[in-house]
Amino acid sequence: MPEQASASEDGVPGKRLHLVPDEVVEAGRMEAVRRYDILDTPPDGAFDRVAALAARLFDVPVATVTIVDEDRIWFKAAHGLNGVSEIGRNPGLCGSAVLRDDALVIPDTLLDDVACGNPLVTGPLGVRFYAAAPITTTDGHKLGTVNVLDTKPRSITAEQTATLTDLAAIVMDEMELRLSALRTVRQEQRVAEAERAAREQAERDKAAIASFASTLQRTLLPPALPTVPGLELACHYHTASVHDVGGDFYDVFPLPSGKWGLFLGDVCGKGAEAATITSLARYTLRASAQHTDDPVAVLEALNSALLADVWAGSRFCTAFFATFTPDAAGGFTVELATGGHPPAYHLSPAPPAAGPATHTRAEAVRPKGGMLIGAFPDARFASTTLHLAPGQALLLYTDGLTEAHTSTDAMLGDEGLTAFLTARPASCGAAQLIQDTVGLLDALPEGASDDVALLALSVPAPDQAAAATGARSTAHTTAAPAGEEH
Amino acid sequence: MTDDIELTLTATPGPAAVATVTGEIDLHTAPGLRTRALELIDQGHRHLILDLSGVGFCDSAGLSALIGIWHGAQGAGGSLALAAVPDRLMRMLTLTGVDSLLPHYPSIADALSARQGAPDAA
Repeated sequence: MPEQASASEDGVPGKRLHLVPDEVVEAGRMEAVRRYDILDTPPDGAFDRVAALAARLFDVPVATVTIVDEDRIWFKAAHGLNGVSEIGRNPGLCGSAVLRDDALVIPDTLLDDVACGNPLVTGPLGVRFYAAAPITTTDGHKLGTVNVLDTKPRSITAEQTATLTDLAAIVMDEMELRLSALRTVRQEQRVAEAERAAREQAERDKAAIASFASTLQRTLLPPALPTVPGLELACHYHTASVHDVGGDFYDVFPLPSGKWGLFLGDVCGKGAEAATITSLARYTLRASAQHTDDPVAVLEALNSALLADVWAGSRFCTAFFATFTPDAAGGFTVELATGGHPPAYHLSPAPPAAGPATHTRAEAVRPKGGMLIGAFPDARFASTTLHLAPGQALLLYTDGLTEAHTSTDAMLGDEGLTAFLTARPASCGAAQLIQDTVGLLDALPEGASDDVALLALSVPAPDQAAAATGARSTAHTTAAPAGEEH
Repeated sequence: MTDDIELTLTATPGPAAVATVTGEIDLHTAPGLRTRALELIDQGHRHLILDLSGVGFCDSAGLSALIGIWHGAQGAGGSLALAAVPDRLMRMLTLTGVDSLLPHYPSIADALSARQGAPDAA
């Protein structure tokens, strides 16, 4: 209970102690008033009934339920006082009743030296009798009063005073119920608000992750193919979904020996885990190639690196690693090692004997015995050397090409790819080869449903070389539109 | 594709076990297959022969699972052999050179008779 001065005996009319609010008590009281959040709420039947009941029980013209605010007395219910919603917090009546623990009874206001100056007494209402019981919270704060007023002096019995106190207790119970309902509603609102905020956060996260994935994807790709004198290079990269970081990778770069290095590979699996392997593979291949230009040794280094990683034995990739260098015949010598990767195709003009529909000879290049990289400590890799003569091309790809669906249950396959390659003119350069291969994928009913990486090298024929201003390199990267997941 | 894959122990000649795989092996089912096969190895069936005749589909996730099982068997001093390998998986095994480490037979009978000559055959 807050300590509060209590009125002395009211038995002597006109000699009531004039109470003034204690600052600390008043601050606590106002906090309680605000906690119940009742000020300026619309009329409520329960409070109206208490006021009407009080008026009937005491046989008085006016009865009210008031809440005492800092500077006003606000009527939550007012029986017999039409059109009045609040009055000033003048001392004498309600203003004084909330400063005491017990009921305040003033039989004749004109005989009370505080109440006699109250506007309700001096004004048109002419209140002569006033009795009020404070509405007291369980922790002792007086929020307001239940009071009865009359225009003529009167006295009430102790039982009637007790009744008034009971009515104030009923009002308090009602306010407790109201507060508990209010808390439930507020809790629900907070939950709803939290859910809405979580949804919004999820949307933002989704956008951030998509943006992160596409940024990561870009870092996993070479920004551009280098310009290699005497060679035309072209590539294509497609991810099945913008949300998936692809497991395909490739690069072309100069080696310290003066040769060029090249790789193209495919990590088994998708998503962030595959991306870490993709990254590891790219950097290991580039770094190893700085120490040796033996393609088999480079793949062995990658195998060791993947097996030394935390996912040892459970994350693999397939890859080609090749070195190429200009040779005396105007072409390039390519030494190519494989680690379980689908065959590359060495393309050259078909001899006339091959028939009118066969323009290109497509020779599968797959050194025998090259194993999956990162799966076995003693994996073996194999290499082969080929000569890329003027007018010839080499196509490397990931299995998203050969596993592209030509119908619901059929894939392009090695056969489909070979048929496509042999039917097109061999003399076209790498850029045209990539463009045509992308066209082949685009024409399929489902397009490329998986990630696809394509890399082509071609040595311009002497007549083309004269026409061309120099070696070209082209690259393009695509991703399926957002939401189109496979 | 389905989330269901079954691995049923069908015969246990000595330390070897024949288990039949039924279902499709893809990204979703492969981890389950791997776990169950490794459990069999843990239970003492360190020479595992997988009957793949009931496998309708198998992609690179299936290949990963098989390599994981191979590592498990190797670690336990055992072995992994495959029987009735579906065409697509066989192409993958050949392409990736994994066929040189994973013995594969047309049928369970062939796999079992090949085991007769093994050092710790029953």
